[in-house]
Amino acid sequence: MAASEQQGETEQTVPVTVLTGFLGAGKTTLLNHILTTDHGRKYAVVVNEFGELGIDNDLVVDADEEVFEMNNGCICCTVRGDLIRILTKLLRKRGRFDGIIVETTGLADPAPVAQTFFVDEHVRNKARLDAVVTVIDAYNILQTLKESPEAVHQVAFADVIILNKCDLVDAAQQEEIIKKLRSINSVAQIHKVERGQASLTDILDKGGFDLKRALDTMPDFLESHHHHHEEGVSSVSFSLKGELNQQRFQQWIGAILQEQGADILRAKGILHFKGEKRRFAFQAVHMMADGDFIGEARDPSTEEESRLVFIGRNLDKEGLRRGFESCLAA
Amino acid sequence: MTPKHPLSHEVLATRGAERRFESPIVGVKIARDGKNAAALTADGEVILINRQTMRETESWLVETLHDGGLSLARDCAADSFLTGGEDGRVLKIRPDGSHEELYKGKGWIETLESTPGHYAFSIRKDVMLRDAEGKGEFKTLEHPSTVTGLAFDAKGLKIAASHYNGVSLWFVKAKESTPRSYEWKGSHIHVAVHPEGEAIVTAMQENELHGWRLSDGHNMRMSGYPRQVHSMSFTRKGKWLATSGADAAVLWPFFGGGPMGKPPLELARLPGLFSSAVLAHPTEEIVAVGYEDGAIIIAEIGDDDHRAIPVCRGAKSKGVDRGAVTSLCFSDDGGMLIFGTEEGYCGVVDLTAQS
Repeated sequence: MAASEQQGETEQTVPVTVLTGFLGAGKTTLLNHILTTDHGRKYAVVVNEFGELGIDNDLVVDADEEVFEMNNGCICCTVRGDLIRILTKLLRKRGRFDGIIVETTGLADPAPVAQTFFVDEHVRNKARLDAVVTVIDAYNILQTLKESPEAVHQVAFADVIILNKCDLVDAAQQEEIIKKLRSINSVAQIHKVERGQASLTDILDKGGFDLKRALDTMPDFLESHHHHHEEGVSSVSFSLKGELNQQRFQQWIGAILQEQGADILRAKGILHFKGEKRRFAFQAVHMMADGDFIGEARDPSTEEESRLVFIGRNLDKEGLRRGFESCLAA
Repeated sequence: MTPKHPLSHEVLATRGAERRFESPIVGVKIARDGKNAAALTADGEVILINRQTMRETESWLVETLHDGGLSLARDCAADSFLTGGEDGRVLKIRPDGSHEELYKGKGWIETLESTPGHYAFSIRKDVMLRDAEGKGEFKTLEHPSTVTGLAFDAKGLKIAASHYNGVSLWFVKAKESTPRSYEWKGSHIHVAVHPEGEAIVTAMQENELHGWRLSDGHNMRMSGYPRQVHSMSFTRKGKWLATSGADAAVLWPFFGGGPMGKPPLELARLPGLFSSAVLAHPTEEIVAVGYEDGAIIIAEIGDDDHRAIPVCRGAKSKGVDRGAVTSLCFSDDGGMLIFGTEEGYCGVVDLTAQS
């Protein structure tokens, strides 16, 4: 019953893809590639006020990227008010669009866009955040990451990274870039492309924020054992065998997000709780979290493995590991 | 005696009519002279209804005039209407369907308001203001962020615009354009001005209202809503502020020291259903309340034992699945009600005493 209701919700909401990336990375080229490919779908495009011209679509809406802080006691809960208004109006009539693509300015932090989908009731009812897609210029990215915290955030937030202009760098450089991107974000899908010619299936309908698809979007990562110290943004991931105590986990993760939510950009998890046959999917953007039981009851003979990943700044890997391990059911 | 279910019979069936359109109704209005009504759809159709023949729905005039409809207001003139669209145009529409373009720009016309003397609309951060005769240029009132709501005061001398971090109150006729600022941190999404000029109230992103008492600038906070407040309406003399956002119409008392420290009155409560539109009656102490399932109730304001008349039942009480009520309007004489819903239903009801 619950599962079928959720299915209905997904069908009735319009997917929103957020396109981020520095100026010159190739966002507009990629956008036009998406819009002009013969897919039979109708998209609305929301561009920023400094957006490049020449977007090939019937409906292009200018947005002002107006960010405000919610008065809900959560210090990092900023949302995009302009997006609430524009999406609410675009989605008044059901079936008007098959999807919406929101382009952000090169320097924008993706967090307020993502948090808008957690916070606003109307937006939640009518739309769903499908994925944050970050376009990267392979030729300049290593330099850009050194100079710009915004670029690091855009990589950290991504569900999908389009590594564009790969024709301008050789194979060894590509390896170095991918290694660097992985150190920031160990779970994003990375696609190498030239001149924005990405495959649409790599960009649209990714379900990056969809709890029900958490199993697909959460790679079977091996816990990384590199002991290098990261100054900036990095990913830490854990996998744990054995069942977890649900209450203990909720208390622990709640406290972690409360205390470290400003530094945690994104978190995702697939968890097995004692006494529950279904898996629990969990995700968070800063302090805003969302979780639900998903999927079919599993075969009790399979090994229970819970997986959790944090992407953020100043992450205390050992402390997080000990905390996660303390959630094991007795 | 068990009270009858408030939705046991429908006034719409005996005294009204409704018609369904393909697209959601975004606004409904009755002209100042009370002779014609209009509705606007999200697709940009304008529906014109002559009051004399309002129950003959096939007589309604339907014209597609905008590429995406956003805002509808009465015109300054007694018989006409104003519409604004995603196409950046503002149109003046006469009851026969003829129209004239008053403005064309780039950007959505998100809010639109008028008095007999002036009309104003907003495009992103700017409010464009002009006198009824259309002499001279538009006056541009600039704001620090996008304008989300517009309201003239009852005398038509001032206009309030809500935006991030508060409200700007402008004198309509002032030569120099500097507003009086009422500040409160956060996102303000609608605005209402007390009819006697006592207060300005905004709805906020966080399911609450904020108000400023105009005599001393004192801040007022009205909270406790389970939903965001999308509709606010002061009663005739400003005794009450009726609001949506709960499973009833929530009315805050603006008398006897209120609303601070006073509990609000709840009218026309339908448990488990949230109100989506409210409107105070122009001559009586009555409010019309629309719900998210398409039900509409007209309720008398009173402490207890208040009377309620069902206009129509919604989906949850075995009525028509109209979708949420988006808009309501009474004629100035109070004898006619028009409503619009999210699923494209537009309805009219004759409320005059029948001989």
